[in-house]
Amino acid sequence: MRYEFRVTGDVSRLLSEAFPELRTEPARRETLFFGTVSDEAHLYGLLARFQDLGLRVEEMRRLPE
Amino acid sequence: MASTGHALPDTGARTTLPWSGDPLLDAKLTVPAAPRAHVARHRLLDGLSAGAAGPLTLITGPAGTGKTTLAAAWARSGGPPGPVAWLTLDMYDRTPGVFWSYVVEALRRALPRLPDGIGMPSAPGDAGTSLLTRLAAATERLPAPVVLVLDGFEKVAGRRVPAGLEFLLEHAGPLWRLVITSRVDPLLPLHRYRAEDRLTEIRGADLAFTPHEVAVLLRRHDLRPPEDVVQALTRRTEGWAAGLRLCALAMGRTDDPAAFVRSLVSSEQVVSGYLLAEVLDAQSAATTELLLRTSVLDRLHPDLANALGGGGDAEAILARLTRENAFVEPVPGTTWCRVHPLFAEVLRTQLRIRHPGLAPRLHARAARWLAGAGCVTEALEHAAQAGDWQYATWLALRQLLVGSLLATPEAERVAGAFAGMPSSVPGAEPALVAAACRLARQDRAGCRTHLAAAERARDERRPAGPHPRGTDPQPHPEVALTHALLRLLCGPGDGERGEHDGVGAHGPHRGGRGDGDVGGDGDGGDGRRLRAAEEAARAVSDLQRQLPAGLVRVHPEIEALRLHGLARAFLGAGRLGEARHLGAEAVDACTTDATLPLRHRALGLLALAESAEGALTSAEDHALRALALTEGQGVGPDQCSGAGYLALAVVVVERDEREDREAAHRRLEQALACPDVPDDPVLAAEAAVLRARLELSRGRWEAALGALPGPGAAGERWPAQRLALTRAVVALARGDHRAAIAAVHDVPADGPAPLIALAGAHLVAGRPDRARRLLDRACGSPRLSLPDRVAAQLVRAHAAVLADDRTTAQRLLVDALDAARPERLRRPFTDAGPWLRHLLGGIDGTAAAPARGAWLTARGGAALPCPVTPLSGREREVLGCVQRMMTVDEIAAELTLSVNTVKTHLRSVYRKLGVSRRRDAVERARELHVL
Repeated sequence: MRYEFRVTGDVSRLLSEAFPELRTEPARRETLFFGTVSDEAHLYGLLARFQDLGLRVEEMRRLPE
Repeated sequence: MASTGHALPDTGARTTLPWSGDPLLDAKLTVPAAPRAHVARHRLLDGLSAGAAGPLTLITGPAGTGKTTLAAAWARSGGPPGPVAWLTLDMYDRTPGVFWSYVVEALRRALPRLPDGIGMPSAPGDAGTSLLTRLAAATERLPAPVVLVLDGFEKVAGRRVPAGLEFLLEHAGPLWRLVITSRVDPLLPLHRYRAEDRLTEIRGADLAFTPHEVAVLLRRHDLRPPEDVVQALTRRTEGWAAGLRLCALAMGRTDDPAAFVRSLVSSEQVVSGYLLAEVLDAQSAATTELLLRTSVLDRLHPDLANALGGGGDAEAILARLTRENAFVEPVPGTTWCRVHPLFAEVLRTQLRIRHPGLAPRLHARAARWLAGAGCVTEALEHAAQAGDWQYATWLALRQLLVGSLLATPEAERVAGAFAGMPSSVPGAEPALVAAACRLARQDRAGCRTHLAAAERARDERRPAGPHPRGTDPQPHPEVALTHALLRLLCGPGDGERGEHDGVGAHGPHRGGRGDGDVGGDGDGGDGRRLRAAEEAARAVSDLQRQLPAGLVRVHPEIEALRLHGLARAFLGAGRLGEARHLGAEAVDACTTDATLPLRHRALGLLALAESAEGALTSAEDHALRALALTEGQGVGPDQCSGAGYLALAVVVVERDEREDREAAHRRLEQALACPDVPDDPVLAAEAAVLRARLELSRGRWEAALGALPGPGAAGERWPAQRLALTRAVVALARGDHRAAIAAVHDVPADGPAPLIALAGAHLVAGRPDRARRLLDRACGSPRLSLPDRVAAQLVRAHAAVLADDRTTAQRLLVDALDAARPERLRRPFTDAGPWLRHLLGGIDGTAAAPARGAWLTARGGAALPCPVTPLSGREREVLGCVQRMMTVDEIAAELTLSVNTVKTHLRSVYRKLGVSRRRDAVERARELHVL
């Protein structure tokens, strides 16, 4: 399953590199992370990692395959 | 190396947590020290003090919002209403057994006069009640309020720990206070607690620093920026505590703090990323290298950091970072420290990018250092992350971790470390560990396969050719011990069921022995099996004596496993007396909290052996004790054994209490849900027998036969005999004595039970002399169990009835009734057939049988001695309300009692019934006919 996470603010490389399994794309005052999430455990792991790094998830959605 | 890391004062308290081996235990149970430049946040401290007037206070917020700092500051202040028991959680505490042991230990440290016996389920008199019930009862007797702080509750993921906590919140005494810090809302019914006004919450928005608090924080760092800078900083960081600390650090380093703030405020970057880069870039190359290399660790020790190639001055660097209070925090009372999770994640990523391929080598080095420092489980996990399976398996075997893997709450962690081990790792030691992992998952066949591989690898390693035997390289005693133990525990394989066994004993050639006989093959495959088991058990004993006493002492589960394995082997061979004896010894050998899972299994096995011998009261008692250990204690669902459930179902079936048939069904289903029932031939056969018995009691013969696997399906003697005899019972029930005789001829074993069954069939077939001869042989056996004795008397009584000798029949029946009465063993009477009813009921009151047989027809056990302490009238009323699904408040209103009195009654009910859940209490009460 593919997911997209919309995170507040510009995320520097130092932080985005902590998500090697996701690609990032800057948007206006936001950063998009997207990629394949292997399962539910991975999804919650990603959310915890965002929180660990002080990133705020504005929106999260599943992308059509 | 590494002496400073575990130079903690040995308080002796650690002996209650023998599986831990964790030198940082004290730190987990200590209120963390205040950080440098700590800001006392009075509005929040007051909030906590107000919250502690009620049962539960929850502090939630993302990482770095100051939850722990706040709770610790409050605990050190005069705010709490009484002593504070502190517990810092980590991800290894999510096993209930581990979690609750820590809770008990924390309480014990806070309250020197905590009632004894709470954490010691093996203490006399505590049997049958779960730790949670006892904890709840202990909180009732508190002289003054006590606060338990659970710090970092998000790390105990899953439902098992929160479920126990919910129970405790529901049933704890009025002076019990709980404070939880967590990044996520715990899985507790918070809505209900809010509605009932039992919850105080301090959430993320409350934790955010106000401009005033920001100004105080900066002043503590000798920074006095103007008001507008403080405002801008507060807005930009949204009051995020960790961010503000990083700001203070960066501002302290620069000559122009105002410029720093301006560029931070104008940046579009995420605050954390901006500040992390600022702080990391400011570090020297040596410091950065040290931080990168140690990022593979959860916590740092200067010596360990040096071992990972930090350059030799790790102590100075870590001391400086700790002093600066940026992102390295000391673990109080130790020389260890932790890196703030915000940095840890970034550092790990940077290590991967800057030094690709280095991480596994660092893990391997850390494993060796940690093993030397006595942190064996952690060492194992690092070796696993390094993919260094040779070392990991060597270490596990040398430290006797197979015992932990098979029997202790530590099992999950050890098994987790080896979960990723590929099957291609060569050598005897990896194969042994793989075998142990399979056995821990109740996969005996897989265990045997890997054991065979281990033996092949071991034999290949021995030098070939004409070396004298004595020069063979001997395996280490630890390795040999593990091997012998696994041999003992995985039992005989189906593939090993040879032609010497029962299968050959019912061929046509048996006719020569006389058609009334059963296979007297007393020492076939089963004898060999039992001898092999005894040999393996002896080897384990001998090898234990060769090991250092200290190593053996910290692994009491090895001896318990040995006894349990031997008991299981004797049960498989149908040697019930020895099985009982060894089972009881195995239970007694499980003396520590760490051996609770094994105690649970040993109690179940003991109960099963007792139920087969007809010692029903004792079987029920032991089975209930076994089950009590599964509720919120050290025994997780994956370690749960079905033996206790089966024993309870057997007790119900043997007592043939009709209205309890549902209970037997339920117990059987519960047993089948346990991983060991399908895997263990003895348990699987017992489950099939129970299913058949339950079908038979409804008169469904076909279904009963369908529930029993065909002859030869069970390899061991005892399960094969149980199945065959049940087939015979079903055949006799439908009047087919030929089929019954054929079924008994399938029985490979000796022992009186098949002879008695055969006697019954021959009697029905009109051959009373042969029946009598068989009975005489059976009754001469030293292994005559109570059900055997009763059944034999009944066959004799039946013979007397058929011979028209009613006086003798009556006398024999009375004997059988008297023998069966103490255990309320009704099943043999039900099996006996309709003639018994005539004998019992068809005679007038002058005969002794009807009077003495009154218990047989009096259904229900209410009039009989109850295995539990009787409930008081009030307790029964409260339980009645519980049965009607009423809440505590509703019960209090209904019975015009106070809520706390209702809770006291409930706790007492749980204790007496040996349960820790409402539903279980109702079920158990129904089974015991107290409702």
